[in-house]
Amino acid sequence: MTRLNRRKFMSRAAAAAGATAAASSFGLPAFGQEVSRIRHGWWGNPERDRRTFEVIDIFNGKHPNIEVVGETLGFNDYFTRLATQIAGGNMPDCIQQGYGVMQEYVDRGTMIPLTEFVGNTIDISDVDESGLSAGTFNGELYGLTIGANTMATVFNTALVEASGETFDSVTWTYDDLKRVATAISGSTPDGVYGTDDSTADWGAFGVFAGQNGFLSVFSDDGEDMSIDADLIIEYWNMWKEMRDAGATPPGADSAGLAGQADLTVQGVVTGQTAITYAWSNQIVGIQGLMQDKVGAAMRPHLPGGEPGQSVQPSQFICLSRDTVDAEAATTYMNAFIHDPDMTAVLGMERGIPEVSSVRQMLAPTMSEAEATTVEYFDSIQGHVGPLAPPNPAGAREIEEAFERIAVNILLERQSIEDTANQFLQEARGILRRA
Amino acid sequence: MVETTLHNPDAISTAEEARAIRLTRARRRSRNNIFRHIFLIICSLIMIYPLLWMVSASLKPDNEIFGTLWLWPSEFQWNNYVEGWDALVVSFSRFYMNSIIITVLSVIGNVISCSFAAYAFARLEFNGRNIWFSLMMMTLMLPYHIVLIPQYLLFLQLGWIDTYLPLVVPKFLATDAFFIFLMVQFFRQLPRELDEAAMMDGCSPFKIYWAIIMPLSIPAMATAAIFSFIWTWQDFLGPLIYLNDVKDYTVPLALRMFLSQDSVSLYGEMFAMSVLSIVPIFLFFVIFQRLIVQGIAMSGLK
Amino acid sequence: MRKFLAKNAPGYLFLSPWLLGFFFLAIGPIVTSFYLSFTKYDIATPPRFIGIEHYEYMFVWDARFWQSLKVTFAYVFMSVPGTLIFALAVAMLLDRQIRAIGTYRALFYLPSILGGSIAVAILWRQLFSNAGVINSIVELVGFEGPYWLSDPDYSLYTLVILAVWQFGSPMLIFLAGLRAIPQELYEAAEIDAAGPFRKFFAITLPMLAPVVFFNLVLQMIEAFKTFNSAFIISDGRGNPLDSLLFFTLYLYNEAFSFFRMGYASALAWVLLAIIGFFTAIAFATSKYWVHYENERG
Repeated sequence: MTRLNRRKFMSRAAAAAGATAAASSFGLPAFGQEVSRIRHGWWGNPERDRRTFEVIDIFNGKHPNIEVVGETLGFNDYFTRLATQIAGGNMPDCIQQGYGVMQEYVDRGTMIPLTEFVGNTIDISDVDESGLSAGTFNGELYGLTIGANTMATVFNTALVEASGETFDSVTWTYDDLKRVATAISGSTPDGVYGTDDSTADWGAFGVFAGQNGFLSVFSDDGEDMSIDADLIIEYWNMWKEMRDAGATPPGADSAGLAGQADLTVQGVVTGQTAITYAWSNQIVGIQGLMQDKVGAAMRPHLPGGEPGQSVQPSQFICLSRDTVDAEAATTYMNAFIHDPDMTAVLGMERGIPEVSSVRQMLAPTMSEAEATTVEYFDSIQGHVGPLAPPNPAGAREIEEAFERIAVNILLERQSIEDTANQFLQEARGILRRA
Repeated sequence: MVETTLHNPDAISTAEEARAIRLTRARRRSRNNIFRHIFLIICSLIMIYPLLWMVSASLKPDNEIFGTLWLWPSEFQWNNYVEGWDALVVSFSRFYMNSIIITVLSVIGNVISCSFAAYAFARLEFNGRNIWFSLMMMTLMLPYHIVLIPQYLLFLQLGWIDTYLPLVVPKFLATDAFFIFLMVQFFRQLPRELDEAAMMDGCSPFKIYWAIIMPLSIPAMATAAIFSFIWTWQDFLGPLIYLNDVKDYTVPLALRMFLSQDSVSLYGEMFAMSVLSIVPIFLFFVIFQRLIVQGIAMSGLK
Repeated sequence: MRKFLAKNAPGYLFLSPWLLGFFFLAIGPIVTSFYLSFTKYDIATPPRFIGIEHYEYMFVWDARFWQSLKVTFAYVFMSVPGTLIFALAVAMLLDRQIRAIGTYRALFYLPSILGGSIAVAILWRQLFSNAGVINSIVELVGFEGPYWLSDPDYSLYTLVILAVWQFGSPMLIFLAGLRAIPQELYEAAEIDAAGPFRKFFAITLPMLAPVVFFNLVLQMIEAFKTFNSAFIISDGRGNPLDSLLFFTLYLYNEAFSFFRMGYASALAWVLLAIIGFFTAIAFATSKYWVHYENERG
């Protein structure tokens, strides 16, 4: 069934079922008129949903021949539904995507490159170079960045202050971390420690690898790992020293947090530790769950090493292969990042905008929390490295394998050397299978 | 008629003897009852703790929910309930209406269609019964995630996506084998003589189903209705897959929109709405559990 | 022919809604998933037939498949008897004419109503955390509490406890079953001076057998298919060290996280075979211990 036929079929089925009790829930308007109906799907939260629907209303008001319809869900739910929609061939026209998984979706052919629309419906003349290169996969532009993001260290300012130790939140090193965290463990009651344990944190290991000169842990062709066991052993030994110094909770306790992304279980939120590793767009969310004030720092550096952290897109807006009207969809996407009325409403809720004029326009209207994030962004300029190339297929599985296998070290069930070799072996197996 | 089939009246020889027995039973009961109450209250506390925790979380400021184990909020945030109701782009009034429509239709559909099938399996003779029964049990065993996509494709072909049809129509076609099997087990317990006597009187199978089996199975039906209500009310995978428009979302799907990993979550509001979302289930349970108890008394089996 | 019709017509008439549902809604997806188990299918591109490769990989190479079986079997063998015994005990306790019994029933059913909500996940983690309520109690008794959530030797118990705690559904079914037992049977037994144990084994259990059978089969099937609680407690992964890698959790991740729908389908059919095997055993043995009223003679 061609796309057009299916739509006709669906509208007819809709008309037939119109008499039923569920008629009201049919969102399909009568076809045949000149209005293009574009669906935009994103994962959200109450604030983002409110703003995005408002933006859709603004757009629809300005474009009488296009009707954009918004579809929103929570983060995990979004990808479950997207999977069924991919199978069904009825993805929304415009979909939100993250940098980490983008390559996989591109490789599977679920998205249409934007290259042919650039200069027509899409204007990229004022989009930052970094944003464009981040949205380019396999040599073609696939995603428009709708917010930038970077890693951060989030710390409990009260506990750090009470420890009597200080550090430079931009240039500090792993040695500083060990010193400060150990002091915090000493100055707080039993059961409260300096820092979360990153032994089973793939993202933190990625930073460490970058600092050691490995921009990507994967080989260029994506079929092998670029790193060797020694690097992993070094990383795990570094954290073992922190653990032995008492800077972190006991390994057996940290093992329960391996792979847990939920903000509510992070040490700084539960009060178990004073330092947690997160992303810049999570700072505001973490603060909302805590009574003490939080501060933001870069991820610790390696003395004499390369920068391990980079600025990367938090989200893209992309064109799905199931789009019914690519021109209308790309018109909307372009307006989403450029239209002053729309971007004013969106603000920085999704991250820092990649269009310079939009950033300038937003500056005077920023909230305090937004200002903190921008301040953090400004402070790290010059200390970040280039963006790592996109992840090959299988990367997420390797991440999970790392976070699973590393628990052996936290529980002291295996030696660090054996565990590193086991991980590399599994990782290669995953890449072969992917 | 029922009395004679179920037990032997000769077992209790005289009325006095029976009264004496009842008296000793009553005495023993009152002593046991005190212990029983103490035990039940302790158990109830364990059972109710999570609800207390949830109510407490719904009244706390967000920054108190995760850092402390203490249940008493430093200050009561009743606003979570008021603001939570309208915190999402669509009001919870709408979500409740959607949930109620889907749930009520599902309960009706499940009870009717499953009792039909169960009556056939438990009380009627026909060729191929065992094969159909095995196939029905098989549908119970396959993990539902694996049929999710094929089912989605099917409903897509039918043009049912973005409607309540995929959520409701299957309930009227007895696709939930759990209820069939449950009812079969209860139907099979009813004395066969009932059907036979009715058949002699010229009753049709439908008349037997409606006038004999159903009234005698009120506890089973109430149980099925309770489960059906709770499971449909709480289901989020179905609505998640089949409904695209936020205005059509159900309560559990809406509850999941409060939380965000890459921005600000509204935990207090989420817990407040979670507490409220239990109310309809709880009321339904309280009302229908009486039928489990009363049903038999009404039927004269006791 | 007429005789044939007369015998079969009522049965098939009553079965027709189910038959309709089975043939229009159920059989298609079931057959499709069976076919997909012999294909490589990444959702985005059409499935490609590869024969029994998935099954071969599963049994020969896939250590996590065996791990997930181990976890699931351990869970089934612990949680099913636990839940059933607890549910039956509570149901018998609540099947009495005592004051406020309706309130107790409602309160005891509460944990099941909360089900697999986010609140339960957060609560469970707090209860079993190292400084949580459970360990405080354990320490009060004089033992050192284990790391329930992070020690692979203990993590499964937290889920077994969660399952037993949510005993409401089988309890309600037991209750409905108990209510169907004529009180006169007990009175007759009292005349014979039967003690509570004899009454339980001579009257309650035999009369309740069909319901016990139902709960046993259903709890077993559900336990094999356990997904929600494992998903919410372990953040969808089965950590630590795959100790919570339930079969359906593994299957779900293969299908929806890593887009190996074909392999996931093969896993699903292996699970179906396992559940089918145990259900068949249950049905076969039921001849000896489950007797129905209408089949007495």
